[in-house]
Amino acid sequence: MGRYIAKRLLSLVPVLFGVSIIVFFLVRLIPGSALQMYLGTQVEATPQQMVELKRIFGEDKPVPVLYVEWLGRLLRGDFGYSLRTGRPVLPDILARLPISLELTALALVLALAIGIPQGILASLQRNPIGDVANRMLGLLGLSLPQFWLAALMVLLFSGFRGWIPMGNYVRFFAHPLENLRMMILPSLAIGVGLAAVIMRYTRNSMLEVMQMDYIRTAKAKGLKRRSVILRHALKNAILPVITVAGFNTGYLIGGAIVIEEVFALPGMGRLALYAIYQRDYPLIQGIVLFIAAIFVLVNLATDLIYAVVDPRIRLDEPGRRA
Amino acid sequence: MTEDYVLKVEGLATHFSSAGGLVKAVDGVSFELRRGEILGIVGESGSGKSVTNLSILGLVQCPPGKIAGGRVLYRERDLLGAPEEELRALRGKDISMIFQDPLTSLNPVIKIGRQISEAIRLHHGLGRREAAAKAVEMLALIGIPDPERRAGDYPHQFSGGMRQRVMIAMALSCDPEILIADEPTTALDVTIQAQILDLIRNLSSRSKTAVILVTHDLGVVAGMCEEVCVMYAGRIVERASVDDLFYDPLHPYTRGLLASIPRAERAPEEGGNPDRLYSIPGSPPSLVDMPDACPFHPRCPRAMDICRRAQPPETSVAGLTPRTVRCWLHSGEGVDAG
Amino acid sequence: MKAPAFARNSIALSGAIIVGLYLAIVVVSFFWLPFDPVKMDSDHSLEAPSIASGHLCGTDEYGRDILSRIMKGTFVSLVISLSATAMGAVIGVTMGVWAGFLGGRWDHWLMRAADVLFSFPSLLLAIFVMAVLGEKTWNVVVAIGIVYIPQFARISRGAILVVKTNEFVRAARSNGAGSGFILFRHLLPNILVPIIVQVSLSLSVAILLESSLSFLGLGVQPPEPSWGNMLSAARNVMVIAPWTAVYPGLAIVFLVLGFNLLGDGLRDLLDPRLKNIR
Repeated sequence: MGRYIAKRLLSLVPVLFGVSIIVFFLVRLIPGSALQMYLGTQVEATPQQMVELKRIFGEDKPVPVLYVEWLGRLLRGDFGYSLRTGRPVLPDILARLPISLELTALALVLALAIGIPQGILASLQRNPIGDVANRMLGLLGLSLPQFWLAALMVLLFSGFRGWIPMGNYVRFFAHPLENLRMMILPSLAIGVGLAAVIMRYTRNSMLEVMQMDYIRTAKAKGLKRRSVILRHALKNAILPVITVAGFNTGYLIGGAIVIEEVFALPGMGRLALYAIYQRDYPLIQGIVLFIAAIFVLVNLATDLIYAVVDPRIRLDEPGRRA
Repeated sequence: MTEDYVLKVEGLATHFSSAGGLVKAVDGVSFELRRGEILGIVGESGSGKSVTNLSILGLVQCPPGKIAGGRVLYRERDLLGAPEEELRALRGKDISMIFQDPLTSLNPVIKIGRQISEAIRLHHGLGRREAAAKAVEMLALIGIPDPERRAGDYPHQFSGGMRQRVMIAMALSCDPEILIADEPTTALDVTIQAQILDLIRNLSSRSKTAVILVTHDLGVVAGMCEEVCVMYAGRIVERASVDDLFYDPLHPYTRGLLASIPRAERAPEEGGNPDRLYSIPGSPPSLVDMPDACPFHPRCPRAMDICRRAQPPETSVAGLTPRTVRCWLHSGEGVDAG
Repeated sequence: MKAPAFARNSIALSGAIIVGLYLAIVVVSFFWLPFDPVKMDSDHSLEAPSIASGHLCGTDEYGRDILSRIMKGTFVSLVISLSATAMGAVIGVTMGVWAGFLGGRWDHWLMRAADVLFSFPSLLLAIFVMAVLGEKTWNVVVAIGIVYIPQFARISRGAILVVKTNEFVRAARSNGAGSGFILFRHLLPNILVPIIVQVSLSLSVAILLESSLSFLGLGVQPPEPSWGNMLSAARNVMVIAPWTAVYPGLAIVFLVLGFNLLGDGLRDLLDPRLKNIR
């Protein structure tokens, strides 16, 4: 098992490499040299100042060299400095991490809490018309744009104090209940789409599993219906759902970016957007890389969770047969 | 007929609606099971033997299936009409069933010990620890070495033969009155088959459990059963004690089956060549929209005109034990049907 | 088997009807719109929807008729969605078929490249590409197309691998069939089904991605109306004029729903395996 984990971690390295290359080189393609923007049209600089400025903005060396230097600094934790604020990038990102993390995690939890029970119920649906209705409803959930849901929430809930974050964000550890109350609706806006996906996968997985021989055996033992469904069927059916949920967290992360913008939440996504609007390319680099790295780790975690939960993979030691 | 019958099946009929039409998978099956007896049900694939078993326990998927008629009497109650809760109380406790493929019949993500103990907990109300201990006992009983550790293992860590033993342990864990074994050895190696059959025989005689042993293998029947039913196209075409069946088969299908067993020296069967393996010509009929005739007649070497026109009734015949046969050869018109 | 067939057909059918409706709107919008979608008319700004005034969905803060803008935006959204999906499909399927068919190092490196692209959450990647290319309307096609490349690559590669190891391919080879022949006669027809299904699902997601980008100001640029940028503009006024946010959103919801229904229904009709789950 440990070997499996190590192997998977190692396979991350080339991927992360590739990601860093893409981020670095693409950012350099962004129109509008940062140096020019900094100078604007008013400020004039002496040739010596220009040399110095060029060094600071990294325009004095060939690009591949700059990449290697950047990578070196990255691995030491130096993500560069924001062009707008002059502050180091990484601490700013980390400061905003908890909010985005909370949004995304809450969205995931809500999506699972809604999607799985709905999926189980849908799989038990015998009536063909009810079944079609369920599926259409599920597809509707997939079709709701997150920002529109957020807008609707603002419209509907702005009268109710404390349910919508309106520039009055409080940290979770400071005021847990208020924090949760104002984060639930935004998280819901992010997670509804994933809930629909989870519902559909749970339903299909359950339907497949219920056809299996071991379910027939469970019934032949006289087990109650609830035991058969929840203990025998669900345990098997849930495995692919876990992977689906994990791999779709990218959707949640994307949604978090939009929702943070709508609700003016000081999270990573909002920082990324402003970095892009303002052409703050060290910040853009740092944030995009950071978010992508997190996403990669989440995918790995999903793989590992699956391996742990499925005993067939977990106990892959050969030769334990009687 | 006042003997110690533990199960009485009368005229059981189970139909399936399919895209092609109505399939009468089981079409009027009757037999009785005595306490502690091992009854064999023999037939090819598609003869309806598995569906018969599932019907007894109410495990047929309805729809597309439907119990079309008959009675299954157990302890004075007709199981066919019984409500689901009643059936559930019986399953695993009074009537148990084991299936053909032990690989797919065990839940891959639940530990073996737990799969055995859950029935015990449910039916005998034991606590978790006691049920777990009993499960370990059962594992030892069926011959699994190091049972306590093995109870924490998963099905894929056992070999095929061991898995079937586990199924048997599961089924017998609550000391049922009846064990229905649906082709328990078909998916196993020949060498393992004998072990499994021995196990079934020993365990069932120990607790006086009656066994319905379904198989397509006459050799298995010869070694294990006291009474045998031969099924064809959803009907029981012959019912007899094992000795009567093997030494004096009456129905042409039964004779064909026996003749098909490869033997070192044989007597030519019905004009067949002693140097060639015999097999019954033709193939089993499609069960969709069966006509009202003897289902075997297209392949029967002794078919008569009446066989094409009407189904033969079940006729009682003389034998070591009460025996019946469904064949116009033995119930000509005018002869009183039993 | 009446009921299941009805179910499958009704889902695909309703999807097709909805999409057809939007296509009809696009065609109509070339010839006629209720009002001029770009002309500003401050006398009539933020009017509530009413049949009497002719503004069935009300007006925005510049007095422009929302329904007309919605109708005009249909064209842009559909074209972007179709083009981006086409781009992603063409490049992605080529990559995937190449990788699956050739195997070995091609497979390894092409899939590594796909993995790298997969490491970005879809919206983030699209936003990033837009930042690099510049916020012009038609760059959205490239941005979303790039997001789709790895998805189509993975699906077509998977389908090729499944078929490649099938017995009948080996049988064909042993009969002397060359690679090209095998590719076209045996392999390609079998990957059509998953690709068709993926295309219809991608169309729906593309609409969502495009409208999200437009909402963030990184997609279709005003004054060209797009449902996303209409919603963005509505944020300031929606509390007093909810129709400015509700209707453009509904337009998105129903088109996406239409594509989803279509894709789901097609998957049912085309995937024989699913027929048994009833």
